[in-house]
Amino acid sequence: MGSLFRSEQMCLAQLYLQSEAAFACVSKLGELGLVSFTDLNPNVNAFQRKFVNDVRRCDEMERKLRFLERELKKDQIGVYDNGDNPPAPAPREMIELEAKFEKLENDMKEINTNQEALKKNFLELTEMKQILMKAQHFFEETLPFNDDDTQGGASEYARLLDEQPESKLGFVAGVILRSKLPSFERVLWRACRGNVFLRHAEIEMALEDPVTGDVVNKSVFIIFFQGDQLRNRVQKICEGLHATLYPCPDTSNERREIAIGVMTRIEDLQAVLNQTEDHRHLVLTQVALNIRVWFIKVRKIKAIYHTLNLFNVNIAEKCLIAQCWCPTNDLGKIQDALRYGTEVSGSSVASILQQVTTEEQPPTYNRTNMFTESFQGIIDAFGVSTYQEVNPAPFTIITFPFLFAVMFGDFGHGLLMLVFGLVLVIREKFYLAQKSADSEIWDMIFGGRYMILFMGFFSMYTGFLYNECFSRSFNVFGSSWNVSAMNFDAVTLGNASALDLDPVTPGVYRGYPDNYINGSGYPYPYGMDPIWQSAENKITFQNSYKMKSSIVLGFAQMLFGLTLALYNHIYFKDRLSIICEWIPQMIFIWCIVGYLCVIILFKWITWKDPASAPSLLIGLINMFMFTAPSKADGTFLYTGQSTVQIFVVLMIVFCLPWMLLAKPAVIYYRRRQKANRSQRNYNLAGGEMADDVPIIEQDQLDVESNSIQQTEPDPDEKDFSEIMILQIIHTIEFSLNCISHTASYLRLWALSLAHSELSEVLWTMVMHIGLSMAPPAGPIVTYAVFWFFAVLTVGILLVMEGLSAFLHALRLHWVEFQSKFYKGQGYAFLPFSFESIIQGRVDE
Amino acid sequence: MGLFDFAEVGFNVDNGFLEGLTRGFKNGVLCKEDYRHLTQCDSLEDLKLHLQSTTYGNFLANEPSPLTVAVIDDRLREKLVVEFQFLRNHAYKELATFLDFIKYSYMIDNIILLITGTLRQRQLSELLPKCHPLGIFDQMETVTIANSTADLYNAILVDSPLAPFFKDCISEEDLDEVNIEVIRNTLYKAYLEAFYDWCEGCGGATAEVMCEILGFEADRRSFIITINSFGTELSKEDRAKLYPRRGKLYPDGLTELARADDYESVKRVAEHYTEYRKLFDGTGVGIGEKTLEDKFFEHEVTMNVNSFMQQFQYGVFYSFVKLREQECRNVIWISECIAQRHRSKIDSYIPIF
Repeated sequence: MGSLFRSEQMCLAQLYLQSEAAFACVSKLGELGLVSFTDLNPNVNAFQRKFVNDVRRCDEMERKLRFLERELKKDQIGVYDNGDNPPAPAPREMIELEAKFEKLENDMKEINTNQEALKKNFLELTEMKQILMKAQHFFEETLPFNDDDTQGGASEYARLLDEQPESKLGFVAGVILRSKLPSFERVLWRACRGNVFLRHAEIEMALEDPVTGDVVNKSVFIIFFQGDQLRNRVQKICEGLHATLYPCPDTSNERREIAIGVMTRIEDLQAVLNQTEDHRHLVLTQVALNIRVWFIKVRKIKAIYHTLNLFNVNIAEKCLIAQCWCPTNDLGKIQDALRYGTEVSGSSVASILQQVTTEEQPPTYNRTNMFTESFQGIIDAFGVSTYQEVNPAPFTIITFPFLFAVMFGDFGHGLLMLVFGLVLVIREKFYLAQKSADSEIWDMIFGGRYMILFMGFFSMYTGFLYNECFSRSFNVFGSSWNVSAMNFDAVTLGNASALDLDPVTPGVYRGYPDNYINGSGYPYPYGMDPIWQSAENKITFQNSYKMKSSIVLGFAQMLFGLTLALYNHIYFKDRLSIICEWIPQMIFIWCIVGYLCVIILFKWITWKDPASAPSLLIGLINMFMFTAPSKADGTFLYTGQSTVQIFVVLMIVFCLPWMLLAKPAVIYYRRRQKANRSQRNYNLAGGEMADDVPIIEQDQLDVESNSIQQTEPDPDEKDFSEIMILQIIHTIEFSLNCISHTASYLRLWALSLAHSELSEVLWTMVMHIGLSMAPPAGPIVTYAVFWFFAVLTVGILLVMEGLSAFLHALRLHWVEFQSKFYKGQGYAFLPFSFESIIQGRVDE
Repeated sequence: MGLFDFAEVGFNVDNGFLEGLTRGFKNGVLCKEDYRHLTQCDSLEDLKLHLQSTTYGNFLANEPSPLTVAVIDDRLREKLVVEFQFLRNHAYKELATFLDFIKYSYMIDNIILLITGTLRQRQLSELLPKCHPLGIFDQMETVTIANSTADLYNAILVDSPLAPFFKDCISEEDLDEVNIEVIRNTLYKAYLEAFYDWCEGCGGATAEVMCEILGFEADRRSFIITINSFGTELSKEDRAKLYPRRGKLYPDGLTELARADDYESVKRVAEHYTEYRKLFDGTGVGIGEKTLEDKFFEHEVTMNVNSFMQQFQYGVFYSFVKLREQECRNVIWISECIAQRHRSKIDSYIPIF
């Protein structure tokens, strides 16, 4: 059988690794990614484990790398990625790496401190310059008023300045964050009781905060006041609101001198700053070249030490004991890896791998590739399969897109979906390399690219069967209908856009040569006859067809699921379940749903006279009422029907107790026998037995180094009442589900109907308007309307309808199909693999 | 709460998300098992390693070793602040007011801290890092200019949210140490009363839960004020003015407390109240005995844990902040004990779950 049919066979193995070889071996196993280690010290605290210091060192290295990465981001330098995947370095190289990172971090920090200091200096000087400029402006503004202070119109500000010589009007100048200005003004006014005068002006250019590197907007202010007490107060307020004060001379000459000095200093500083910036850039580009590789190395080392922490340390023999699950088929590869690891580390003693028997349920491991991954994903989303039970994934590859397509049947829509899927698949490598697209929705769509491709393909197929392409039909082979036989009069033909097609009318159908002289002798060769497109009773016709085919499809899938259950029973050698569960279930489902399907097909194939077609629904109801079928109420199908139907109903009734009671009865009987036997054995063996048993169990526990959880109690040992209750539930569930699940498959019909109706509405309400217009306006309107049509087609019909059909297909698989055989009580195999650790898929 | 009171019906419309979030945060609060592991740590590095396995996750990952207690303290507080700010930024209508009320107590603490600091001639830059980030507001840092409470109110606090609490303690007296304590307690009293009344006005489960918690807070303050006032120059009349007039002690207990002269008489007052009697019983300072303060904390923790039992009320937000705070205190206590190699008292933290 293919590997996807059942999950991989797993075995529990113990590894004995020499202390010096352990690192290299685990490193090699990590590259391999085929083993999953179990924790042998579950009771030991994280910080009491052996290699905790090494893990800590790795943490520290990672921290330094993160620091460097942040610096890179700050300078917007991209990380160089050449796709290298270096092996985990040996422990001695770790010290080298540590030293290297330490040096880089210190360098970086030093550069940062210097730069910060310089920038701070620069900022101060710039602010100073701004103050001097603005102050000049503040003072100059008043000059014109100075000349004619006799005028009453002089501003308050001017008068204040005038009084300066007599009252020693003091002032301070500074810079404050623009956002704090309003509250600054308010506090100032309140705290000084309105006795100060504030002028402010915005600094037009944005400044850079030296510590955070953020861009900040600031304002220059100048405050005039009288007396030392107020000066004190003002200064305190400034301090409180983080305003920086700068000395500003009184006279404009001095100000000009200082300004010139400041300018030259700014220029000098700018040069130094540029140099520091260059130096920093140089260091960082060097870092950018290597940081990815460093990250990988450090993460690998960390993962190795983390794994080593799970091992049992045997001090006397200087070896580490590990326990792991691995696929039996890959034992050879694992042993190779161990040998290689031992060689690399130069250890003289080989590492030993030993298989251990255990009662514990092994993890489920399904090897997938790019193609099967998404299908397996659908199954795992419901529940990871129980170890080695039949995995529905390989069948899902075909049935899922098919059921989807039954609901989404439209050639045109299918084609669009197929093209989309094809684009994704063909450009796969490109998208895979472009890891940056970390949008979850995109990942989901891209992950399901093969599914989309298949769904598109199958939709084209079903669309072809339904003969629908954007709700229009192709007339490829020529219709098999002869409408002239209907004898419509001219008025009806002239007025109606669609007419009833009555198959009962003689001669209307070319399929029967005996009814129509020029009969072609065959119905439309494949799929729906295009004539139905223009028929008034199209939906009535299609409903009957789609409804019945949904039930047939549903029955086929459920039957298939039940067959897989047989495979499971055979594989697990569960003969009891085959006889007491599977066989009655099979009979039951055949009698209820199977019989219905048979008569559906029977009617399709044999019934030629549409006028006297029997009603299956009433027939089915009558069957359970034991009413004999008759031609009068339209339930007669074939001779001997009555006998067959009575037999079928009796079989159904007979199967119920079979399913319900047989299995518990057998278990009960076996238990009693077993109890009798062991009673006898115990009496024979005497007291010795009782002493022996615990000792053996104890030894076994020791061998398995105490880590294995208590073995699951044998299913036989369950309480009998529990078994009985479970059986009752299973029986009721199965028998009810036979009906309800069959009904549930009707969603195939319902969604298919909805889809074709929606696309038809879209065509007639939108596209049709444009196409039916006369030439001058027609083409233009058609062009405009086409875009509307296209957007709605993609948005509603493809995306929304597609999603809904997807969900329903999913449900049909999860509930209706898998409930027949799938337990899904396993747990996934999560191998220790560097690949997934580096990609961040595994949480430590 | 009447039979036809449907206040809770609409609760989730505005606050459902935040309540859920808070309950989620609460699930991250360290449990007994975690504390047991923490107390076994030999160094702060071990502590960091263990905290990594809790919801604190990598909150210390970017700190260079060696770790110090101060750094841990900062990070713990930062986490609380980030969570609180998130809640506050998404809060709506009444919940926003409620969360602001929680913030006010930190503001009061900050102001008092700054004033005391300035009186002791400390630099502002030295004081600022000690302020709780939840209680920072714009004008806060300018309180240093005030010489009297009237000054403080008129110049600075008048348009801060604390203004309404301040009206009782405006005086022209100069600020000094005793004065500040009085101001703190008066402010706190006004704050508690306002918060209590607001919650009561909310009605429903919020009133039920919060009035109990705030009432206890008020009573605790009354007890502590009384006990701390022995041997100081605070007169009995002045002391009585500081008692928050809410909670179980009001009014009879408070009248009695106002007359108390020593610890014993305080204890006698507590005897009248079942829940407070338990707290006063068996307190002491010896090893194995718990201080009254710890007992109060323990009681507070129980009340806050209980507040999560009720749904559709604002109490969970308050309780969450208080529990997180207690947790920070616990972790810091343990860290200090580890750092100073003073392990004998390491178990005197207050477990939450």
